[in-house]
Amino acid sequence: MKEQLEGLLQAALKDVDATTSEEALQELRIKYLGKKGALTSIMKGLGSLSVEERPLIGQLANTIKDRLEARIDDALTHAREIKKRERLERERLDVTLPGRRLPRGTRHPITLVIDEVSEIFAGLGFQVAEGPEVELDFYNFEALNFPKDHPARDMQDTFFVDDSVLLRTHTSPVQVRTMLKHTPPVRIISPGTVYRCDSDATHSPMFHQIEGFMVDKGVTFGDLKGILTTFVTQYFGTDIGVRLRPSFFPFTEPSAEVDIACVMCRGKGCRVCKQSGWLEVLGAGMIDPEVYRHVGYDPEAVSGFAFGMGIERIAMLKYGIGDMRLLFDNDLRFLSQFRGECG
Amino acid sequence: MIVTYNWLKEFVEFDLTPQSLAEVLTMLGLEVEGIRYLGEGLGDVVVAVVEEKLKHPNADKLSLCRVNNGREVLPIVCGAQNFKAGDKVALAQVGAVLPGDFRIKRSKIRGEESCGMLCSEKELGLAVESEGIMILPENLSLGVPLVEALGLKDTIFEIGLTPNRADCLSVVGIAREIAAKLGKKVTYPGHALNESSLPIRERAEVVVEDPDLCPRYTARYIYGCTVGPSPAWLVKRLEAVGMRSISNVVDVTNYVLMEYGHPLHAFDADLLAEGKIVVQRATEGERFTTLDGQERVLTASDLTIRDGEKGVALAGIMGGENSEIREETTNILLESAYFNPSAIRKTAKRLGLHTESSHRFERGADVEIVTRALDRAACLIAELSGGAVAEGIIDVYPQVIPSRTIRFRVERCGQLLGIVLTDDEARDIFDRLEFAVAKVEPGLLDVTVPSFRVDLEREIDLIEEVARLKGYDSIPVTMPLARVVSDRPTRRQQLERRLKDLMVGQGFNEIITFSFMAPAVLDRLLLAEDDTRRTHVRLRNPLVEEQSVMRTTLLPNLLETAARNLNFRTLNLRMFELRRAYLPVQGEELPREPLHLAGLLTGARYPEGWNQEKHQVDFYDAKGVVDAILDDFGIGPVVYRQEQPETYYHPGKACQISHCGEMLGSLGEIHPDVQGNFGIGQPVYYFELDFDKLAAVQRGKTSIEPPSRFPDTFRDVAMLVDDETPASAITDCIAGLKIKELERSEIFDLYKGSHVPEGMKSIAVRVRYRSNERTLTDEEVSSLHQRVIDNLVQKLDITIR
Repeated sequence: MKEQLEGLLQAALKDVDATTSEEALQELRIKYLGKKGALTSIMKGLGSLSVEERPLIGQLANTIKDRLEARIDDALTHAREIKKRERLERERLDVTLPGRRLPRGTRHPITLVIDEVSEIFAGLGFQVAEGPEVELDFYNFEALNFPKDHPARDMQDTFFVDDSVLLRTHTSPVQVRTMLKHTPPVRIISPGTVYRCDSDATHSPMFHQIEGFMVDKGVTFGDLKGILTTFVTQYFGTDIGVRLRPSFFPFTEPSAEVDIACVMCRGKGCRVCKQSGWLEVLGAGMIDPEVYRHVGYDPEAVSGFAFGMGIERIAMLKYGIGDMRLLFDNDLRFLSQFRGECG
Repeated sequence: MIVTYNWLKEFVEFDLTPQSLAEVLTMLGLEVEGIRYLGEGLGDVVVAVVEEKLKHPNADKLSLCRVNNGREVLPIVCGAQNFKAGDKVALAQVGAVLPGDFRIKRSKIRGEESCGMLCSEKELGLAVESEGIMILPENLSLGVPLVEALGLKDTIFEIGLTPNRADCLSVVGIAREIAAKLGKKVTYPGHALNESSLPIRERAEVVVEDPDLCPRYTARYIYGCTVGPSPAWLVKRLEAVGMRSISNVVDVTNYVLMEYGHPLHAFDADLLAEGKIVVQRATEGERFTTLDGQERVLTASDLTIRDGEKGVALAGIMGGENSEIREETTNILLESAYFNPSAIRKTAKRLGLHTESSHRFERGADVEIVTRALDRAACLIAELSGGAVAEGIIDVYPQVIPSRTIRFRVERCGQLLGIVLTDDEARDIFDRLEFAVAKVEPGLLDVTVPSFRVDLEREIDLIEEVARLKGYDSIPVTMPLARVVSDRPTRRQQLERRLKDLMVGQGFNEIITFSFMAPAVLDRLLLAEDDTRRTHVRLRNPLVEEQSVMRTTLLPNLLETAARNLNFRTLNLRMFELRRAYLPVQGEELPREPLHLAGLLTGARYPEGWNQEKHQVDFYDAKGVVDAILDDFGIGPVVYRQEQPETYYHPGKACQISHCGEMLGSLGEIHPDVQGNFGIGQPVYYFELDFDKLAAVQRGKTSIEPPSRFPDTFRDVAMLVDDETPASAITDCIAGLKIKELERSEIFDLYKGSHVPEGMKSIAVRVRYRSNERTLTDEEVSSLHQRVIDNLVQKLDITIR
């Protein structure tokens, strides 16, 4: 019987090794190990053995059974693995076909610039403040040292609602409103919409500015240079040259225009910078004592600076936009291109 | 302001190239906005003489000339008619490149050889317009470059002056700045004024009736003049700075205007009744014809110059036709006065009459330069017109305007600029600027500013002068030592940003449109006559009617933007605008400016693609976006009410959105008529929400429930409902039971059609049950679900299917 069993094992192992399909392996398991299988039918002769032989043969049968089970399981695992591999191979996709997309939007470039500039100044401790666009003459002009009937008012063509109400021509009235509400130290950045009664290829009746100002004890013109230089290098890159030159705004003194080296030609001179190598990007200056008088600050005790920039101009420089009107056409073929801009 | 390099050099010595000079001026605050090089590219244009002029054999309008350039005689074909043999002409030789990149080549014109071109002033860039070729003075030597022969070489600077620098509206003024920066002195042109023995008092009289508007009036009398053309040097100078030559007398007043910055006026003295000048306010409604031929109606606040009978000039702005210098003028009364800046400004502004003269007076002229300018002009007029200057000057200056002295603290200046400044440095800067300095004590100076610096009144003005002269470049860059303040964005700012991100995430492109609208656009929205949005802020001086009022709703701009994009065949649109509306408030000076969120969708739901669904967006897409926003803001419960929809929506596909009785906005499909009014040919969905209200009711989560660790079980229930019953009635009814183990219910199917009776709909709801404490048994769930069904049947008119 021992020989019979060993013969069965050899035959079974040979069968298993020669089989690759899962189904055939399951059939082999039944053929050799099933209730009516070969092993069972051999073991039916167990009763004819001597008492001494029985446990030995029984043990052998168990061993054979275990070995065979293990071998079939291995073969099955292997067969399944091969089958899976074949299936995965068949399931190969054309990965170059486009994915299934959801509609994706964009922020407007003006928003991108406002957000990025605000973020840089937030890092310098400036808080965002806003103010009304339909504004009183007092905040837009009077308190900023633009007396009535003064030529300085010609610098800004104004939309009027009535004698005392107008559309703000700059974001500077936020300075006055903020200073009336808060005592120094104040550090404010104020992006917003402004209006001037002017419309052509380079002027839009509505545009955007970012105003910033800081008032504290002992703030100097040198500090103004420091803050603006930091901003310019963070926004336009560390290798961009900055220069301040004297200018005039009624609400600052000394006043400055801030130029950056032309971002197109890097200062060599080109069409964009009109061959000068410089681009005007900011107006700035130390806040005029006359403004402090209107808001009840003591110009002998505190000092500060203010600055402002046109957002459209910055956006046009940053994104190489040649015509400002594109910013307000809201053509989605234009706006969609700002995908991926972090701002 | 336009000045030329050579003209400046007459007043101050400097050794700078035009480019460096431009740099110096710009860094002084006199921004050079443009540089033009006169005579540039004219190197190959020389003086030549026409030796022979014959008719071109093959062309009637051309002549064939032999032109001598001093070295050789060249054949040249010319089309101009205004010259003859023997004339000296400007010859552009072969190889010359004229302005406009026009290269002169050897050529054949109608079969005849031509080796160069006879040029007009226009072709040489010397004049904007010209007729015929340029005929040169006979005394010029042949072969000499034209630029040299005519002294054309100069550089023209266009300077963008800020309104405070009235003192730099002249060559002298700019020369003073250069001198101050370079540490030089300005030399003023000397004038040998020879007065005759005729006393001016015998010929002229000046009475100033309104000295408040005319603090100073001076005059000279020049007689026996011959009015005629100006000499070439004068014409050239004026042309260089953009002025047209008129006559020798008028040109001199303009020349001195540019030179000293002081406006002068020359009257034909014989046209002045009684030889008299009266400076007086106009009478209300008075009519006066200015030099430009326009009749002006004056008011009592306008200052006029009058003679014994009538007005002869609008003071400081423009002369009158009735007393202007004519060809036959022989006797001249020359005016040099100082007028009140704001009076001039008011009149000029009201009349819309902006002149070189008013520009200077309204910014503040130099009250002390009036006689110097007067003498300079009188001298030049006499010289150029052969007249004589009467003896004496009339100078009516009743109340001398005192000079200003400003106290200056040296240390304060240093502190504000962030520099170390010594008394000597400050003094040196002021000296160079021609300010008089008196030292009060160490660190304290009294600075008296000259009359031409009308912009300097306060210490801070002097501090700016120090910064300017030292150079902004020389001030060290520092960072402020700041006190710490909280700089976190406000909740509203955070929400605004978050809302934009949310919209972008839902596929919307942000747009920014003008805050204006046309009042008539509201009719296109079918708004009722009494709609509050018809009350708006109106501009007094709009550019166009379409932009004449501030918008009260964002809708028109979004529709117009959609229409424009659709016209460009961008057919699938998702756009939003988060900007202000401007809503007048009764009794308030300023309107409210709430932020509104407006969203518009149209076209396909998903981008086009091989594997994308091809559905069009509908009402529920728009509602889904609104739901997402409200959900994100944690706003609930929200009521969508279909009653009283906005007029601009499809009446059946729109709703108002409210929360706890507060109206948040509306949503719907745009009414087909409105769509048509905006030229849109496909369904458009829109919503507009009041961001300020959203922000007000927005709340963050304050407590979070731990999730259950036990499985859920769901049961579906389908029912037949009357078509009029809103779906929300069913979900509200289920939620109203407040069963603890009822996790949520959702409508998962809606069906109308066969097997469903007319006027009914079939709605299927899936109800999920789950306990926090244990796994619910089948019996428990069934019992709960039965309660739900019973309640539905009891409360609503439904049939369970």
